[in-house]
Amino acid sequence: MPNPDADCLETPVRKERGWAILAALWAVLVIAGAGMLMAYSYTPGETGPAVPVWPATTRLPLASDGPTLVMFAHPKCPCTRASLGELETLMARVQGKVKARVVFFRPEEEGENWAETDLWRAASAIPGVEVQVDSDGREAELFEASTSGHVVLYDAAGHLLFRGGITEARGHRGDNVGRWSVTDLLRHGHASHTVTPTFGCPLQDPAPPSPAPET
Amino acid sequence: MTRSPEDVAVGTRARALFEAQELANSRRTDRLFAWLLGIQWLLGILVAVWVSPLAWEGRWSHMHIHVWAAVLLGGVLAGFPILLALRLPGAPLTRHVIAGAQMMSSALLIHLTGGRIETHFHIFGSLAFLAFYRDGRVLLTATIVVVVDHYLRGAFWPQSVFGVAVATPWRWMEHSGWVLFEDAFLLLAIRQSLDAMRGLAERQARLEHLNANIENQVAERTAELKKENTERKRAEEALVAAHKDLLESSRLAGMAEIATNVLHNVGNVLNSVNVSAALASECIRKSDVQNLDRLAVMLREHEGDLAGFLAKDPRAAQIPVFLSRLAEHLRTSQETALKELAALDENIGHIKEIVSMQQNYAKVSGCQEVVDLAALVEDSLNLNVGAFTRHRIDVIRDFETVPPLSLDKHKVLQVLINLVRNAKYACDASENVPKTITLRVARGDGRVKISVSDNGIGIPPENLSRIFQHGFTTREEGHGFGLHSSALAVREIGGSLSVHSDGLNRGATFVLEIPIPNTQPAHD
Repeated sequence: MPNPDADCLETPVRKERGWAILAALWAVLVIAGAGMLMAYSYTPGETGPAVPVWPATTRLPLASDGPTLVMFAHPKCPCTRASLGELETLMARVQGKVKARVVFFRPEEEGENWAETDLWRAASAIPGVEVQVDSDGREAELFEASTSGHVVLYDAAGHLLFRGGITEARGHRGDNVGRWSVTDLLRHGHASHTVTPTFGCPLQDPAPPSPAPET
Repeated sequence: MTRSPEDVAVGTRARALFEAQELANSRRTDRLFAWLLGIQWLLGILVAVWVSPLAWEGRWSHMHIHVWAAVLLGGVLAGFPILLALRLPGAPLTRHVIAGAQMMSSALLIHLTGGRIETHFHIFGSLAFLAFYRDGRVLLTATIVVVVDHYLRGAFWPQSVFGVAVATPWRWMEHSGWVLFEDAFLLLAIRQSLDAMRGLAERQARLEHLNANIENQVAERTAELKKENTERKRAEEALVAAHKDLLESSRLAGMAEIATNVLHNVGNVLNSVNVSAALASECIRKSDVQNLDRLAVMLREHEGDLAGFLAKDPRAAQIPVFLSRLAEHLRTSQETALKELAALDENIGHIKEIVSMQQNYAKVSGCQEVVDLAALVEDSLNLNVGAFTRHRIDVIRDFETVPPLSLDKHKVLQVLINLVRNAKYACDASENVPKTITLRVARGDGRVKISVSDNGIGIPPENLSRIFQHGFTTREEGHGFGLHSSALAVREIGGSLSVHSDGLNRGATFVLEIPIPNTQPAHD
């Protein structure tokens, strides 16, 4: 025979147990969502093959009295703000030991103002950094840079010292292997890493879907 | 040491109050966090839209994943705790879920702002806000979430990407250390706050206990007062009834005394009537009618020779002398009889007068009528006039002219009769001669003062204060009603009755004072 009192006592317990199960499901959902976000943040952009020697056809100047650092950036990529921030930190730490330049992608058909975004202004404000437009990403192609925030470091002889990103994750500022490596190279001539992943928006237009193979 | 039952009760109540306050605080904080999480969600969306609205690929753009994360992940993150706060407020599960959600909100906001160091302050603010729960376990949950998040993101994820940890391996520990640093202070503050709450609960419990005691005492006292009040009311009603009965008894007693007095006076007069009637009867019975009959028989026997009889019989020679003596005797008897009959008539008239006067005063009392006080005093004397004569008491009158007053004539007469009778008894009981009763009517101080003085037995000082008490009397045949009922009657008409005596055999004076309505104190 069922005990009505026991039922009454069990009801709140059951209710709370139900909520606890829901809470566990919620936690799983949150962790999964956060995981997906983390996965996105830590998924680097494409990295092209290394360009070991300063390309001859480039219009970008190579410093003869020291290393040259070039960052390829998309002027509207929000993730690149972190890369510029890290560049600012880097430039402050190396204090004139490098000629730095930020090259902003601009589609050929777009006007001058298209690239002059807040990122442009932020880059221009970094001491020792020059800014210029990369029409239709031709220079980026020469240096095999396909992701905004991609950095290449060449010595005065035009030899590649470093390539990759200088942020820890997509759009995240803070200590990271890329910045440390560039700093070490400029300060001490060697670094633990010479290649790092780059986190940012693709510089080139998305590739058109490949045509279906003819049968 | 054993605790008293009172302390145990206060302790139990204090615990209940403390737990109730804790629950109320948790529910209140749940509601605050429901608002905060909702606001943070909207803020996250704004930040995402502001900082990274679009992701670009060359010249093409699409909505940034951060916006989706802010809307969807932020919505899930805030939605469930808000639901819990609304549906299960105050439950431990709710606040622990809220703690986890708040810390994850910090992580999301930090992420959306590109890892800005300033956004990390959100963690410390959130910890302080979570301390509102005054539950150290909630801080523990929050801290665990922060530590795990930092460990996974700071250690595991960069390692998976770079092959090595980006920051130093202990960086996550450093971050967690700062969180624990804040936790330490917050836990201290929570402990102090809980101590204060406990103290407050105990004080409130003691206060409630005290109030309950006071309320009980007030209720008991109120019940007692109510009971006393009811009893007092009953006693008052009984007193009023007794007073009424007493007044009625006094009135009846007074009426009885007046009736007794009247009967006594009538009886005395009837005695005189009886004496007069007896004397008249005796006189008539002793008249010489038989001798006259014998003379008439003798003359009828000699009716045939009446002349010879008168001339020759020697008895006839005595007839003139006999007739002369008979006439003398009959005249004397007639005079005596007439005298007694006159006395009889006078006494019968006296009886009629007494009865008439009694009938006059036997009317219902309580009626106000304009009364000549001197005449009223005279009436009271007339009702006792026979007694004064018999007991050889001289009555002296000293009446001033006083205004007629509207009062209860019967009551005043009853008082006066009592006073006059008392004076008469006092004179009777005394050997003082001549026996004198003095009645004075005077006016002064806005009152009419009627004094009845005698030179009789007097009143010893110890009896003066008891003279008006019910049942107090010095006479063997007395009942102690007269003066008491007189005093009550006087009080009813708004007057006063006082007594003065210089002691035994020094006489006494009773003064009846009746206020004159609507007059200022006289200055005469």
